[in-house]
Amino acid sequence: MILRQIAAVIRLEMTKTFLSRRGIWTYLLALAPVLIFLGHSFDEIGNMQQRAEWAAARKVETADLRSITRGMSLVDVEVAVGEPHAKSVRRGNARVAVYQYTDGSNVFRFVFVNEVVTNVSVEERDTLAADSLIFATVFQFFYLRLAVFFGCVGVFTNLFRGELVQKSLHFYLLTPMRREVLMIGKYLAGLIATTVIFCTSTMLQILALGWHVDPTDLSTFLAGGGWGQIAAYVGVTAAACVGYGSVFLTAGLLFKNPIMPAAFVLAWEGANIFLPSTLKHISVIFYLQSLCPVVAPPEADIPRLLRYLITSAEPASVPVALLGLSGVTAAVLFLAGRLARRLEINYSAD
Amino acid sequence: MGQVMTDRITFDNVSRFYGEVLGVNRVTLSIPPGITSLVGPNGSGKTTLMNLMTGLVRPTRGGIRVLGVQPSDPEALFKICGYSTQFDSYPRGLTGFQFLDSYLRLSGMGAADAKKATSAAIDRVGLGEAAHRKVAGYSKGMRQRIKLAQALVHDPRVLVLDEPLNGLDPLVRSETITLFRELAAQGRHVIVSSHILHEVDSISDQVILLANGYVVAEGQIRGVRAEMHDHPMQVQIRCNLPAALAARVFGDDQVVEARLHADGGGLLIKTRDAERFYHALNHIALDGIEIESIAPADDNVNSLYEYLIGGEEATR
Repeated sequence: MILRQIAAVIRLEMTKTFLSRRGIWTYLLALAPVLIFLGHSFDEIGNMQQRAEWAAARKVETADLRSITRGMSLVDVEVAVGEPHAKSVRRGNARVAVYQYTDGSNVFRFVFVNEVVTNVSVEERDTLAADSLIFATVFQFFYLRLAVFFGCVGVFTNLFRGELVQKSLHFYLLTPMRREVLMIGKYLAGLIATTVIFCTSTMLQILALGWHVDPTDLSTFLAGGGWGQIAAYVGVTAAACVGYGSVFLTAGLLFKNPIMPAAFVLAWEGANIFLPSTLKHISVIFYLQSLCPVVAPPEADIPRLLRYLITSAEPASVPVALLGLSGVTAAVLFLAGRLARRLEINYSAD
Repeated sequence: MGQVMTDRITFDNVSRFYGEVLGVNRVTLSIPPGITSLVGPNGSGKTTLMNLMTGLVRPTRGGIRVLGVQPSDPEALFKICGYSTQFDSYPRGLTGFQFLDSYLRLSGMGAADAKKATSAAIDRVGLGEAAHRKVAGYSKGMRQRIKLAQALVHDPRVLVLDEPLNGLDPLVRSETITLFRELAAQGRHVIVSSHILHEVDSISDQVILLANGYVVAEGQIRGVRAEMHDHPMQVQIRCNLPAALAARVFGDDQVVEARLHADGGGLLIKTRDAERFYHALNHIALDGIEIESIAPADDNVNSLYEYLIGGEEATR
């Protein structure tokens, strides 16, 4: 009986959740990282083709390129590695020139000011290891904390609050159904929708990022635990929907305006690493980060505050993280059940 | 806690406040089966009373039982109760058939049984041809009927209907009233709120008059009227000698007024004791005055409303 009722709630909610006009931005949030990684792949494919063309025209040894250091003159550089594959020159108070060389894999850039090397940079060939770190960073910073977070805000707060605004919630409340069952049905409907949307996005992101990777490298990666990593990322995405979904379903029952609780939770989750150990466990992001297969590195160009966010978390073991996330979700859903039980229809006040 | 089944809907000193705004106050009622009308001006507490009865709002104070079931237990309540609300909004995109079918599926009914019950309810309210059209495209009257169908699709013992005759054309209105009577005759509770007094008068077994959140009168219309001693009963009499009759009835000290009809074919009597007056009239009729008809003139909801609510409003 209860399962039938839950199935009936899910059936009714599915169309609303997947096809509502208000849900478009959920799809956009899910699509954004896919486009980012797709763009990165296309860019990388273009770079590789150019390097291959340069190398085919004239190959320069890696050791020779690495021997160039700051302070060397333009003539010395041209003697050591020859004419550049590409160069740009800007004349002003000083003559600035940028010479680019490739050894077939990496691009070396030498900046000359008045014909003296002032800067040497190497754009190394994109490797799976580097891409893996890029993905981990985007996944933890943008995807979990923003895209999945706000996607869940949109879907889950709307489950009850949206119906109160549209004055249609009484339809459910006039059925011989326990309010807790209604709450579970709606939660599962939201969970199915967000999991399908965001887990699909995670898989597409990985596909988009892997687009430019050499097939041999890819096979090696997959054979060496790559599938496990992919499954873990998809799992963490689903876990994020489970955790954030419960929080925002409850927020939709508690607050008229979902922006306020969303802002609070965002601040709480963001401040998580600064919190004492006990409070740290009362969050979703703590467990999600613990479940991520790759720890996002503190990149030099990431603002200091954000670096703290990544590095300061003390990860829990996978069983503890799963148990903790389940505990947080269960506690929040228990509260939601209590709130649903006390729910009243007073549309004029809503 | 065990729930004792009774055939009454009871309110025990129930109050409901919306913040500082009064919904209903100190309502004590015991509603028997049959058609019960809630009557009162806008804001008098009719809908609040219905929402309390069906658990859509909770009482601030007091207790409610619907045939022994607490409204806070929807699982038990909506097996025996159907509610057609005043809210004119529906789950988006559903046809009339899907609307009822979804309601039954949410109630836990299997697909085949739900379809059968849905078809029966749709036929009962005469929406067969429009069943597979979207509710959003229905007229006001059709939406009223689909709401009524939703309230009775699971064959409940208690029907709570908020302004169910609003927007219905005369024919459908008449059919709907007949349906209410059938349901009441089967021993069900049909609780109806309405502001169309002559309809309430014609369909109600009992009335509950509300004003400003208080129950000002309840019971069978005649019983309530008889208790209103400060308003003498009015009796219309058609006879051949109205002036003579007026002279005779003034001998009774309970008669306070006699007014001859302009056409000279009858008179209006006001008396403080209707029973005694009717008894006296039997003797008068034996003395040669031919009485064609006798009918109470203010023994209806309209008069009760005017005396109890209109008067109160007027004194403000």
